[in-house]
Amino acid sequence: MASIHNLSVKSKFALAILPLIIIIVVFDYLQIQEHYNDYTDSQRLNKAIVVGIEINHAVHELQKERSIATGFLSQQGDDFRQDLLDQRERTDSTIQAFYDEIEREELADLVALHTEELRDLGTYFDRIQEIRDNVDSRFISADQVINYFSDINEAALKTVNGLISESRNRVAAEQVHAIIYFLKAKERASIERAIGTQAFSRGTLDGEDHSLFTSLIAEQDAFIDAFITIADQASVVYFNSTVSGQDVVEVDRLRLFLVQNQVLENDANYWYQMSTTKINLLKKAEDFMSVRIHDYTEGISAEANRSLYTVLIVDSTIALLTFVMIAFIVSHLLKDVETLEEFTKKVISGDLSQKVNIKTRDEIGHYADTFNIMISEIKKSQLALKKERDKARFLYENIYKQSQVVFENVEQGIFLLNREHKISRLYSKAMETIFGTKTIAGETLVNFMRTLLIPRDLEALEMFMKHLFNPEIDEDVVNQLNPVEQVKIFTESGGMVNTKYIRLAFTRIENKAGAIQQIMVTVTDETEGVLLQHKLEEADEKKKMEMEQMLSILKIDPALLRGFIVNSRKVLKSISSKYEQHDGENFDELLTFTFQIIHNLKGNSIVIGLQILTDRFHKIEDGITKLKDNPKVVGNDFLTILYEINEVDIIVENMSDMLRKVANIYNKFSGEEQTDTNYDLIDSLKRGLSTMSEDTGKAINFNFANEKNLNIPKIIQDPVKDILIQLMRNSIAHGIEAPNVRIAQRKLIKGNIAVTLDNDEVSDEIILSYRDDGSGLNTAQIIEKAINKNILQESERDKLDEAQIVDLLFSDGFSTNENVDEYSGRGHGLGVVKTKINELHGTFKVNFEKGHYFEIILRFPATVQNPIEE
Amino acid sequence: MRRTIEKNLGNYNLEIIGTASNGSAALEIVREKKPDVITLDITMPEMDGITCLEGIMEIHPTAKVMIITALSDKLTGLKALDKGARGFMYKPVNGADLKKAFDKLLKKPD
Repeated sequence: MASIHNLSVKSKFALAILPLIIIIVVFDYLQIQEHYNDYTDSQRLNKAIVVGIEINHAVHELQKERSIATGFLSQQGDDFRQDLLDQRERTDSTIQAFYDEIEREELADLVALHTEELRDLGTYFDRIQEIRDNVDSRFISADQVINYFSDINEAALKTVNGLISESRNRVAAEQVHAIIYFLKAKERASIERAIGTQAFSRGTLDGEDHSLFTSLIAEQDAFIDAFITIADQASVVYFNSTVSGQDVVEVDRLRLFLVQNQVLENDANYWYQMSTTKINLLKKAEDFMSVRIHDYTEGISAEANRSLYTVLIVDSTIALLTFVMIAFIVSHLLKDVETLEEFTKKVISGDLSQKVNIKTRDEIGHYADTFNIMISEIKKSQLALKKERDKARFLYENIYKQSQVVFENVEQGIFLLNREHKISRLYSKAMETIFGTKTIAGETLVNFMRTLLIPRDLEALEMFMKHLFNPEIDEDVVNQLNPVEQVKIFTESGGMVNTKYIRLAFTRIENKAGAIQQIMVTVTDETEGVLLQHKLEEADEKKKMEMEQMLSILKIDPALLRGFIVNSRKVLKSISSKYEQHDGENFDELLTFTFQIIHNLKGNSIVIGLQILTDRFHKIEDGITKLKDNPKVVGNDFLTILYEINEVDIIVENMSDMLRKVANIYNKFSGEEQTDTNYDLIDSLKRGLSTMSEDTGKAINFNFANEKNLNIPKIIQDPVKDILIQLMRNSIAHGIEAPNVRIAQRKLIKGNIAVTLDNDEVSDEIILSYRDDGSGLNTAQIIEKAINKNILQESERDKLDEAQIVDLLFSDGFSTNENVDEYSGRGHGLGVVKTKINELHGTFKVNFEKGHYFEIILRFPATVQNPIEE
Repeated sequence: MRRTIEKNLGNYNLEIIGTASNGSAALEIVREKKPDVITLDITMPEMDGITCLEGIMEIHPTAKVMIITALSDKLTGLKALDKGARGFMYKPVNGADLKKAFDKLLKKPD
């Protein structure tokens, strides 16, 4: 079936029409064959009748010969001799005529068809001569002769019957049968003649012959009845009119004698003549019918011939017409089909410019219409498609390419995950850099990360992905649990393994309906940041301590701190030199020495509020105390102490550096646009004073007067502060009395220090006056001290005026206090003040009233730029 | 936790109907009162937090469970989401975070 489906329309048509053509051809053929059969049949019948007539002629003559031979044998004389010889000639001539007839060319096919029967008949005919010989020599009886000839005639009639009884034509068949019945009746009449002739010749009809004779008559009547029943009207009429008259009646009369076997004196010859006349009449009727059937069959033959040709012509015409019609319709159909096919080919090749034109209004015509509509629809949709394509191209050019550029250059790894958790084909170039691989697209994220994560994180990632795509769970809630928020991965590039810290962030991408379509993932390489953070943390730890130091420094007055630092370093150094010189014995002394120094430093650091060093010194003290309690101290036991002392030394050194840096920062900030304010200066003076007053138990007020709202230039603020601090120290240590003394002298319990800022516009000088309400100066005590310190010679004791005595206070190494403490007594007294004033290119003047006040008036050039470095 | 919720979620139309100090007590309350919202500290005594969550979801599948944990272990949190929890918070819980988390849990617009 499939092969039929694949045939072309033409072939399918051919296949459909083929059975029709075959039917027509077969039908025509059958019809023609039928008519041809009718024709050949009638032809053959016609020929058979000709042959049959010849045989009948022979039979007729044989019948006569039989009667004559019977008569000859019945009589002893030669009455019938001559008749017999004449008859034999006639018989032979008719037999010869039969043989001649079947030799004819045109009967060959008929003869061929009946060869056997005709040969059998021939053998019967061949016996005739033998019978005749026996008759002549009288070897056989009359009865035997009758039987012999009757056999031959029977065979002859049988042959005739065989020849003519096969007609397909009903009328012809009936007539043939009528003739055969007639011939059988005639044969019986002939035998009757022979037996009658014999009976008249003998004068009696007895026994067997009588019954034969009566049966012959009965048979004759029966055959004639049958003949009359089936023969046509004309034949019957002809028979009735012909076989009648005197002779026929005479035969009937003679026949009656024979039946009754009564009067047989009649001449046998007479009977023969009469019955022969009757048989000849029968023969005449037979001939009439023979001619008639011959003519009739000839007519049938001609008719068959005619109708054969008519059928041939009509059928051929019908077949031809059918073919022409089919050819016309099919070619017309095929033409439309071909038109459609060609058009379709055009459409397929993209030519939509034409319409298909089929005029017929059949299905193909409708198809063509539909086709045209489809073409116009295709055109429309092509147009729409073209628009979409242009739009897509525009989008590609303007958006996709731009995003490509972005993706090429963006530093983050960016990609999308589809619902199967697979990485999109498009991802930013940075992905390859970050992960050091190019096989990224199409992999699920979990697989992609498989080698980079530990199993537990992978499991978490897998679950995380599932939740990301679950719309029931809030995106922020899921993202709180991002297991790859920051992961450490190892990538390989060029044989080098790199450690990277990467961050993966996930964002849901939803469609308009709110369904989660994809997940956007951004990957950030945070390695630099993380490493930096690690470094920062380290540095932070380090700086934290420095900061602590710094903070503690900032809290303390720089002048105090500087004094403390210088002192500490000197003292700490003295420890190491002491240890270097030590002979390895008398550790107790060494311990005591160390303890005293550390304890002293601790005291100093407490005084200035340097907690960080106070703690350190305290720790060292604890260590030393422990060693003191230990009776067996060895050299190595000092290592811890020395190490700790060294640490403290480093801290002190750091502080010294910081202090310098702070001073520099101050200097820098104080320059240029920065307006100089006294605020910080005054503030630190206040703080310094309050610290010192608390420590010494002397309550002191601080007053700062600045009526002209002047500013001390930043650049000299530090030295000025140092000077003022030193002056305040001095006031606290030597000037302002202890509260109980002040009460006794009727002074305010709280001491007072006043600083006044003024200027001299003429000389462009800053004037700073410092004044306390203490005990003023004790000139006698100053002189004593100066002599003690070898600053003044005994001889010069009375030569000094008040101003010169005051000057002694400002010489190096002068200290009036017996107790060395943080605020006095280390040779850093007013000598330092004098040095600083000189550095600032300033001058000073001291006023005092014993028991009431001490005042010093400082003058600095307002435009001093560079104080001399320390 | 109770105090934090009372203090910060006063206008959320929520009523605290029970607190439990361990997993089995929690399951008992859930069974009896079928609360709409449950805050579940996943680091709990006696019972494993995830097992307790499973129990809650079995008894009361429509409950909105907010997981609170001091652990920074992501996998446990993800497993909790897998079992049906719909909110997640790290300890210590502050008021702002709590409000935000409850807005999400109760699907309130921001």
